[in-house]
Amino acid sequence: MSFEMWAEKYRPKTLDDMVNQKEIVERLKSFVKSRNVPHCIFAGPPGTGKTTAALCLARDLYGDAYREHLMELNASDERGINVVRETVKTFARIRSIGEIPFKIMILDEADNMTSDAQQALRRTMERYTETCRFIMCANYSGKIIEPIQSRCAPFRFTFLPREEHDKYLKRISEKEDVKLLKDGLDAIFEVCSGDLRKAINTLQAAASLNKPVDAKVVYSITGRASPADVRKMIETVMAGNFLEARKQLRDMIQKYGVAGSDIIRQIHTEIFRTEIPEPWKIKLAGVVGEIDYRLVEGADEEVQLSALLARLVEAGNELRKAN
Amino acid sequence: MYAAWTVKHKPKSLAEVIGNKETIQKFVDWIKSWDKGAPKKRAAFLYGPPGIGKTVTVEALAYDFQMELVEKNASDYRTEDAINRFAGLASQYGSLFGGKRIVLLDELDGLTGTADKGGVKAITDIVKTAQCPIVLIANNAYDPRFSNLRSYCLLIEFKKPPAGEVTKHLKRICICEGIQADEEALKFIAQRSGGDVRSAVNDLQALAQGKKKLTYEDVSWLGYRDRQDTIFNVLRMIIYGRTCLSAKQAVDMANMDIDMLFEWIYENVPEHLTDPHDLARAMDALSIADVYRGRIRATQDWSFTRYVIDYMTAGVAMARQNTKAHGWIPFKFPARIQMLSRSKAERAMQLNIGRKIKRRCHISANRASKEVLPFLKIIFKNNADMAAGLAKWLDLDAEMVEHLAGSKEKAENIVKLLS
Repeated sequence: MSFEMWAEKYRPKTLDDMVNQKEIVERLKSFVKSRNVPHCIFAGPPGTGKTTAALCLARDLYGDAYREHLMELNASDERGINVVRETVKTFARIRSIGEIPFKIMILDEADNMTSDAQQALRRTMERYTETCRFIMCANYSGKIIEPIQSRCAPFRFTFLPREEHDKYLKRISEKEDVKLLKDGLDAIFEVCSGDLRKAINTLQAAASLNKPVDAKVVYSITGRASPADVRKMIETVMAGNFLEARKQLRDMIQKYGVAGSDIIRQIHTEIFRTEIPEPWKIKLAGVVGEIDYRLVEGADEEVQLSALLARLVEAGNELRKAN
Repeated sequence: MYAAWTVKHKPKSLAEVIGNKETIQKFVDWIKSWDKGAPKKRAAFLYGPPGIGKTVTVEALAYDFQMELVEKNASDYRTEDAINRFAGLASQYGSLFGGKRIVLLDELDGLTGTADKGGVKAITDIVKTAQCPIVLIANNAYDPRFSNLRSYCLLIEFKKPPAGEVTKHLKRICICEGIQADEEALKFIAQRSGGDVRSAVNDLQALAQGKKKLTYEDVSWLGYRDRQDTIFNVLRMIIYGRTCLSAKQAVDMANMDIDMLFEWIYENVPEHLTDPHDLARAMDALSIADVYRGRIRATQDWSFTRYVIDYMTAGVAMARQNTKAHGWIPFKFPARIQMLSRSKAERAMQLNIGRKIKRRCHISANRASKEVLPFLKIIFKNNADMAAGLAKWLDLDAEMVEHLAGSKEKAENIVKLLS
């Protein structure tokens, strides 16, 4: 076993290495061929290869010294307007030395930029197009302002299909000499639902326990948001015990660091499995969707999810009345 | 004329302090022992529930013995600088003008967990070398934070005075204020207070000020009253509010920041709104208020605060359609705040580790600290070899390794492998 983060070690280095997102990769290769890159938006869920594609593109374009022509900025660390005014502008306006006249700026998590910063960016993009091309990576392109979207070529990344996900993890486990069992692989997919970075991190953490990676091991390390925990919380809340359910939720989030999005996805799955009248299921799905959207808007996980729990109390109560 | 009666009728001399006679004697003996030079225990640690006269006793003693009282509250000694400033005061027995001096550090409970850890230690250092009597006051002297400090202090426990004593005290006040009060009424107030003299006097003032007579009927409706009046009234105005406007006005009364008030409301709403529909409506209002908080963060446009306030106050008030305003239910301190403040230092550490990950892994420090760090923790707890490799690869320092490994021993094992 090697001692670096596997997600980094096995990150594809060139566009040819990238096995997934085939159509996107083909288009990017054509950019390399024509030695020209437009401003781009790479949109899609986490762990689907946005940053990797941007890095591969840069390497193919500039060769091994690609770092000299590239800047990576993480909008969630530096999201204010000042960063755009200073860091971005300084980088963008200085002409690159070499065969290709422009540099590449990767703006990661661009949907975390304030709208002010985005407005400022829009002018920078326009003014320095000659010297700098922007690749904006975002989970939701909707959070990027319209004027920027219209200046960029959009690329939509999707979750890896199951076979590719499995192939990838199996390859790593072979190289690292880890015993990955079938149900372990299933569990990783269930927990990470195609987010490859998370899947690889999960595999590595599971491997660190030095035993075969099965479903039990996977659930024990993935923040313990096992379906069983969520199921228990739903049962508690449907029985009318909101306070206890909120406490369970709080523990999941604060003590075990489970992501709100994981919990809500789990709740969504559970709703259709729970024994409640069919019309209720779709009604609740609507509520889950609304709360999910609010979470995406950047609201507090516990507050949002407990609002959802309160709706489940209501549902449980109605059901008891009906019976 | 409208001074708080708790101040106006505060005992001036030790003889007027109610209850705790033997306790006070112990305290006086200790002060007297200073005349023969510094005693072995240079600090007295007064502890006991709130409102039973700990601070008053020290003030009265200073008055009786004509000593200069230097008093500090928790808020005054948060920083080490501030503490060192009065290390100087404590280092000499007499004051500049020849009188003797007592240094009082009140509300030690107010020193919060990790943030003020250095504070307790600095105080301990002062106590060890003090040249004048130091008095410490806290509700709970047996808090583990004070374990070391405690060993240098004379512990003096204050107990709740019996209701009879409290009643007598209330009677004296009524006489001073020219109020004719039924014995039954005063007894009722005294019992309600559960030995907290300060709140009993506050109650008496609320009920009797401006009256000539106080009858049992006047007081019998008096509900339980907690120590943290203001916030409780504010919450009552919001959760049981009848109009949007009155609920919104509660914010001005609260005198705390909006996020903190939000936490109070969020914590307490479910205890009060027992009807499921009311609860769902109220939680939805809070959820929308929270969405606006997110929008403020995203746009940095603080004018949206007004909608946060609308939803968290009026939105919650209007949610209550079926729940009756019933008997007494306590309001609770927001548990989330306790958890958050405890982990503040921890979050800073996590972000620092996140920055290290960022340098290697093309991911923001923020996301790394949330998404990658949990996996590192598992690795560092279970596999020293892999952990050592990663520590080197990520260039983590010893403190970070310990944080990830969760214990000193495991961290040491990992560090050993590094060299």
